Amino acid sequence: MKTLFFPRLAINGIKNNKKLYFPYILSCIGMVMMFYIIHSLSYSPLLREVRGGSSIEAVLTLGKFVIAVFGLLFLFYTNSFLVKKRYKEFGLYNILGMDKHSISRIILCESVTVSLVGLVCGIGLGIGLSKLAELGLLNAIEKEIDYRFTVKAEAVLFTVLIFGIIFLLLTVKSLIQVRRLKPLQLLKSENAGEKPIKANWVFALLGVIILGVAYYIAVSIKTPLSALLAFFIAVIMVIIATYLLFMSGSVALCKILQKNKKYYYKKQHFISVSSMTYRMKRNGAGLASICILSTMVLVMLSSTTSLYFGKNDSLNARFTRNTEFSIDVQSIDNLTEEKCRIIRKKYEDVFKDNQFTPKNVYEYRCSSITGKINKNKININVSDDSIVNYDDIRMIYFISIEDYNKIMGKNLCLKAGQAYLCAYRCTYNDKSIDIDGLKLNIVKILDDFIDIGESKYIISPSLMFVIPDYETLRPLDNMVDISGYKALSNEYYYGYDYDTDDETATDIFRKQVETIDTLDFIKNDGGYGYSAGCIAEEKDDFYTTFGGMFFLGIMLSVLFIFAATMIIYYKQLSEGYEDKSRFDIMQKVGMTKQDIKKSINSQILTVFFAPLIFAGLHLGFAFPLVWKILQLFNLSNLKFIILVTVGAYLCFGIFYAIIYKITAKVYYSIVAN
Amino acid sequence: MSILEVKNLKKIYSTRFGGNKVEALKNVNFSVEEGEFVAILGESGSGKTTLLNILAALDRPTSGNVLLEGKDFSKIKESDVAKFRRDNLGFVFQEFNLLDTFSIEDNIYLPLVLAGKSHYEMSVKLKPIAERLQITNLLKKYPYEVSGGQKQRAAVARAMITDPRLILADEPTGALDSRSSDELLRLFCDVNRQGQTILMVTHSVKAASVASRVLFIKDGEVFHQIYKGEDSSEQLYQKISDTLTMLESGGER
Repeated sequence: MKTLFFPRLAINGIKNNKKLYFPYILSCIGMVMMFYIIHSLSYSPLLREVRGGSSIEAVLTLGKFVIAVFGLLFLFYTNSFLVKKRYKEFGLYNILGMDKHSISRIILCESVTVSLVGLVCGIGLGIGLSKLAELGLLNAIEKEIDYRFTVKAEAVLFTVLIFGIIFLLLTVKSLIQVRRLKPLQLLKSENAGEKPIKANWVFALLGVIILGVAYYIAVSIKTPLSALLAFFIAVIMVIIATYLLFMSGSVALCKILQKNKKYYYKKQHFISVSSMTYRMKRNGAGLASICILSTMVLVMLSSTTSLYFGKNDSLNARFTRNTEFSIDVQSIDNLTEEKCRIIRKKYEDVFKDNQFTPKNVYEYRCSSITGKINKNKININVSDDSIVNYDDIRMIYFISIEDYNKIMGKNLCLKAGQAYLCAYRCTYNDKSIDIDGLKLNIVKILDDFIDIGESKYIISPSLMFVIPDYETLRPLDNMVDISGYKALSNEYYYGYDYDTDDETATDIFRKQVETIDTLDFIKNDGGYGYSAGCIAEEKDDFYTTFGGMFFLGIMLSVLFIFAATMIIYYKQLSEGYEDKSRFDIMQKVGMTKQDIKKSINSQILTVFFAPLIFAGLHLGFAFPLVWKILQLFNLSNLKFIILVTVGAYLCFGIFYAIIYKITAKVYYSIVAN
Repeated sequence: MSILEVKNLKKIYSTRFGGNKVEALKNVNFSVEEGEFVAILGESGSGKTTLLNILAALDRPTSGNVLLEGKDFSKIKESDVAKFRRDNLGFVFQEFNLLDTFSIEDNIYLPLVLAGKSHYEMSVKLKPIAERLQITNLLKKYPYEVSGGQKQRAAVARAMITDPRLILADEPTGALDSRSSDELLRLFCDVNRQGQTILMVTHSVKAASVASRVLFIKDGEVFHQIYKGEDSSEQLYQKISDTLTMLESGGER
């Protein structure tokens, strides 16, 4: 009988505080479940088998880590709500003669119960849903679906271990909180009047300024490479500004409204504005967290969705032709029309042997070099120790006038020392250029150039020159870059499309790679090397990577939305208890129930939707950056990405509104009672 | 003419499924004349809070009528009750019931803001009242920062600012120390002398003794009353005490 005393008190405690405990247990279950699903997926034998499975595994491992850290923080946050609410009860036990040791035992029993329920239900649901998630993932990466069902003991144990530690930490935290319990203070704590609030104008102003600067940075970034660093700076600034604005800015705004007597002393503003001051003071930090969480969800959701649905765009942009060969030779001496012919013959032999008809055959010769631009000078020897500004790096391509005319079907001519220029992703205005000693006079700026696939997925801007002949490049031919490699690379490109199935195309592609290997002059060229690719082969990698990211994006969004819901729920709950007495008074002073309801509504609405509106604003200003980063993945359909982003925001908004309806109901039921 | 008339008031509380019935008010009849200061004296459980809630239109009687200036409470539509209460009644509560989110000034303005008055109008009205209640220099403070007596004076100001026909006070001295109680009661007398009708519910003989008439309520019935007439508060106090003693001993008869 005695031994069951504490467990029974603990169970009763949980039962009597259903409104508090139910969502908490639900969050525990949700976290455990999510972790188990992601963890078991990263061990799934099905994923091991697919090509590109390792890249998905890496993405999932990242997700696992995010969930564990997030779970820890989030459960700590919600747990503190619980303990705070139960302080009064524990204080009463203490006064009635229960020592702190016994209270600790109750807490221990409660923690064990909640942890057990969380782990058992979480893993149970996880096992049940992991297959569903696996099917979803396989579908996302366009792999064949397999209905084998496996449960890995290892995954279960690992989940138990990780969340065992998290629950242990939570228990220790609650126990420490109880040690600090001062019963008298606790019994009174809820009746203590609230201190009048003073607006912190400095912080409010700082918030506005920081946000403005962050937004300015976000929209003023020009090149994607420098964007990455600026992106992180901007993100951190936005986070700081969001907290400042929600915590101080909102109070300051309320104070400004209160100063405007004509506005403030109106029935519909009077109570709302003054209550909002207190509400924002209490909830600023929580709302800012929700806002940032929402922004994260939105950015993640919109970018992974864009990537996923734009994967074919990305793939096609990556490849100028479905199958491509690019053979590098050491010296411009080997970059001749004659050798070009020999290589072409090899490709065509394979076509002939296999009765394969290529389409849109495309070939060119070209030389390229990388350097740092400084006005009209290009420096090839970029030393590592000088701080490299990535914005100044240029890819430089050269093609002979003969080849250019042939490919483009034009009839241009050039004299020695002259060149045409086409600048890609940058501008060049000088009349001449000096590439480490090679001086060229730019005759004219061209609008279009031959299609060089590489220039599209290399992030640095390119300068593309049409030169009289490849002999012009002689001064650069023997130069080495800082690491000792030849600076100039000379390339034969050959590419074609096909309309056969992927297997045949891959087969032809492999055969062609083999024949190239037999070419003597290429083999004997010291710097020879080639890269070759075929969409049919690379598709798998693309699909698994993008599909995996999309899948994880959805999973994490669900998790974050779930977390935001819980935070809002607990906010409403604690608000409700505090506001109850206030609304009693208002009713006595002559407010109708409708007035009260209206006022509550407008306040909750503001509290609820301010984070969503700010998240939308953040998303809007983050969009140019996201767009630039997506461009690195060769996504070029701006309209589509805008559509996806707006769609993600709307979906999120609808979901948010549903949460609002549910929690508002709970709030009313508390206040009205 | 009577400003307030209470006729055959009855209130029965029953549990939801009609099990136990508790008769809080049996048959209450009384009236209040314009300019009177009436105290209703009774112990806890005598039904005085129920009576006050009905008078405040916060609760409805099981049977009987309450008429304010001839207007029957039961005829007022549910949606108009709040407005009626705001326009005609002022409240002073034991627990002050000031909102901690408002400054003292804004707390006092609350009923006027609800009635849609302009800020200028409100400030004009507040000035003399604040001076009379000696809270002018407290107006910018928050409830958190002032004493109980000061809070109660602010609550009185809030009750008076709408020029109510009747001020209803529920144990106004209940949460105050004796000095603040005395001050508040003196204030009530002052206000009453200037023509304000007050109905106060209390269990304190001291508080009741400043009124111009005392009604005794017990077990849900008003069964005795004493007029102050020309008596001083001290004399009335004595009379009330005697009556209570007589009632107690009489009760054992």
